[in-house]
Amino acid sequence: MKALCWEGVGKLKVRDVPEPRVRAAGDIIVRVRASSVCGSDLHLINGFIPAMREGDILGHEFTGEVVEVGPGVRRLAVGDRVVVGSVVACGGCWYCRTEQYSLCDNSNPQPVFAEKLWGHSPAGIVGYSHAAGGYSGSHAEYVRVPFGDVGAFKVPDGVPDDAVVFASDAMPTGWMAADFCGLTGGEVVAVWGAGGVGQMAARAAQLLGAERVIMVDRLPERLAVAADRLGVETVNYADTDVLEALREMTAGRGPDACIDAVGMESHDVGPGYAYDKAKQTARLQTDRPTCVRQAIMAARKGGTVSIVGVYAGLVDKFPLGAAMNKALVLRMGQMHAQRYIPMLLDRLAAGEIDPGYLATHPLPLDQGARGYEIFEKKEDGCLRTVLHPA
Amino acid sequence: MRSNATRLALVGAATVTAVGVGRAVTRRRRRHQPQREDGWYVVRRAVTVDRPVAAVISFWTERERLDRALAEWATLEQIDGNRWRCVSRDPDTGATEWRAEITVTGPGRLRWQVTGGPEQQGTVELVPAPQGRGTEIRAELRYRSGPLRRALGLAAGDEPDLRLRDTLRRVKSLIECGQLIDTRRDPSGRSPAQERRTDEIRQRLTTGGRA
Ligand SMILES: NC(=O)c1ccc[n+]([C@@H]2O[C@H](COP(=O)([O-])OP(=O)(O)OC[C@H]3O[C@@H](n4cnc5c(N)ncnc54)[C@H](O)[C@@H]3O)[C@@H](O)[C@H]2O)c1
Ligand SMILES: [Zn+2]
Ligand SMILES: [Zn+2]
Repeated sequence: MKALCWEGVGKLKVRDVPEPRVRAAGDIIVRVRASSVCGSDLHLINGFIPAMREGDILGHEFTGEVVEVGPGVRRLAVGDRVVVGSVVACGGCWYCRTEQYSLCDNSNPQPVFAEKLWGHSPAGIVGYSHAAGGYSGSHAEYVRVPFGDVGAFKVPDGVPDDAVVFASDAMPTGWMAADFCGLTGGEVVAVWGAGGVGQMAARAAQLLGAERVIMVDRLPERLAVAADRLGVETVNYADTDVLEALREMTAGRGPDACIDAVGMESHDVGPGYAYDKAKQTARLQTDRPTCVRQAIMAARKGGTVSIVGVYAGLVDKFPLGAAMNKALVLRMGQMHAQRYIPMLLDRLAAGEIDPGYLATHPLPLDQGARGYEIFEKKEDGCLRTVLHPA
Repeated sequence: MRSNATRLALVGAATVTAVGVGRAVTRRRRRHQPQREDGWYVVRRAVTVDRPVAAVISFWTERERLDRALAEWATLEQIDGNRWRCVSRDPDTGATEWRAEITVTGPGRLRWQVTGGPEQQGTVELVPAPQGRGTEIRAELRYRSGPLRRALGLAAGDEPDLRLRDTLRRVKSLIECGQLIDTRRDPSGRSPAQERRTDEIRQRLTTGGRA
């Protein structure tokens, strides 16, 4: 079959690879119908997340049709249309049983790296380096999904592939980001990053009761789409002092909650950025934390900073003093896909969330490398490239 | 605890543990010296399984499930009421590597001793975890390792301590979700040579390159 493989930092290529087979009783094989790019892939492609190997198949946000089930699978049958959470979860450990799926104890068979770097290993993730289990990704004609009963969900009739595909990752991530904010109604929420994740976080915050959502980015097209689709307010950090603007927009209080949907390749203007970039390149810090610094400075006293942008290692100049003295709540994590997907599918079917507009660039799998280039450079108003194998 | 069930259970847990570390003891790599007591090297490791002690026991008492769990590792025979014999096989060649005798020493406790192989003995104990968090499986491994053996077969990942941790992790996974995840032969665009190098890295990410 054809698959989009990583061939070294910044290099992707479509190759012929063997087809996956059922290997364990709980496995299912999915014929991929749509597989999206995600901001996390950029961290992998650019070599900021370790233990990528030449030939690894990328892709972790996908939907398709079940073509084979292992003997232990109960909830699914051949022919079902499913969407699959990016995070692999066993369903049987303490973390899974308390719905903290991205912390699953048993789904990363190669936990040593994470244990050394972080003390413990979180769950494995599909198509996400050997440090996250070495699973083959979904930018392929077929993909093996372990623990199919836990991770794959039937798609409601009438929801198109290029919308439901985001129930795999961007939607649950955005939802979790807003969930972390502990909204009770009427809050002001600021979201850094107007990519797929940030936009889904903004929508989730609205549905969970936020009265105002303010999005921060530098790409005018993305901010315009967010304003148009979601009715959010926007701040462009390229020409505006973000902290000043947020303070004014909230009459001096600061946002009740600040969401980081940017992560470790955060961009910035000014000399601070050159400093962070140089340090990251020299591996003196692994991550560029511009946006999380801002979020901490911006949040109101006693507010929440919710981090779903991905970080891998160390950051520099982390304003811990601000967080401590303002008594902030910091929440963060990889998303618990399986906890949120069923609820999100209901909301999708009911039209409460319509993520289809994120699929700005549908392309055949063959053009995967180009698809990532468009996504990375945010050419032509690209929000997400969605690859179609067939 | 029903005594027979308890016995089988512990035998199972100990067998997996003994088999997992036994090979490591023969081919261990000396990087750092573990603790020494009375001339033995001593390694203690534990894992928490999210099931009550009784459930951990009943997992091992189902003979069929146990045999499946041990499949490519070992066979188990009962000698008498309290003693079992475990024969470890090399998964690649099927040849016998070593034998161990396992003795139940009390409720939730047992001991094993390798016979006709590397000098090794150990204990396994099942203890309820606090807060209803399941069962702590606590294993202690004691081994001696002569200078000659040390010099031979020093494959990466064969540090007994690391192997013990890896083994306990396997036991936990089998009980909690009925399988061990393995991504080794999943599709990739690698050549056979690249795949072999990647397997070495997988091995290091699985059992650790150094202690
Ligand atoms: N926690 C999870 O489970 C999870 C899941 C999916 C994605 N993610 C992470 O979420 C992040 C966003 O993903 P995405 O797919 O939306 O990525 P994306 O690349 O499409 O979007 C990132 C956006 O951030 C903007 N940005 C960069 N620097 C900024 C700054 N200093 N301030 C404000 N905006 C800035 C960029 O212009 C871009 O629009 C990534 O870090 C990704 O790894 C996390
Ligand atoms: Zn993602
Ligand atoms: Zn789990």
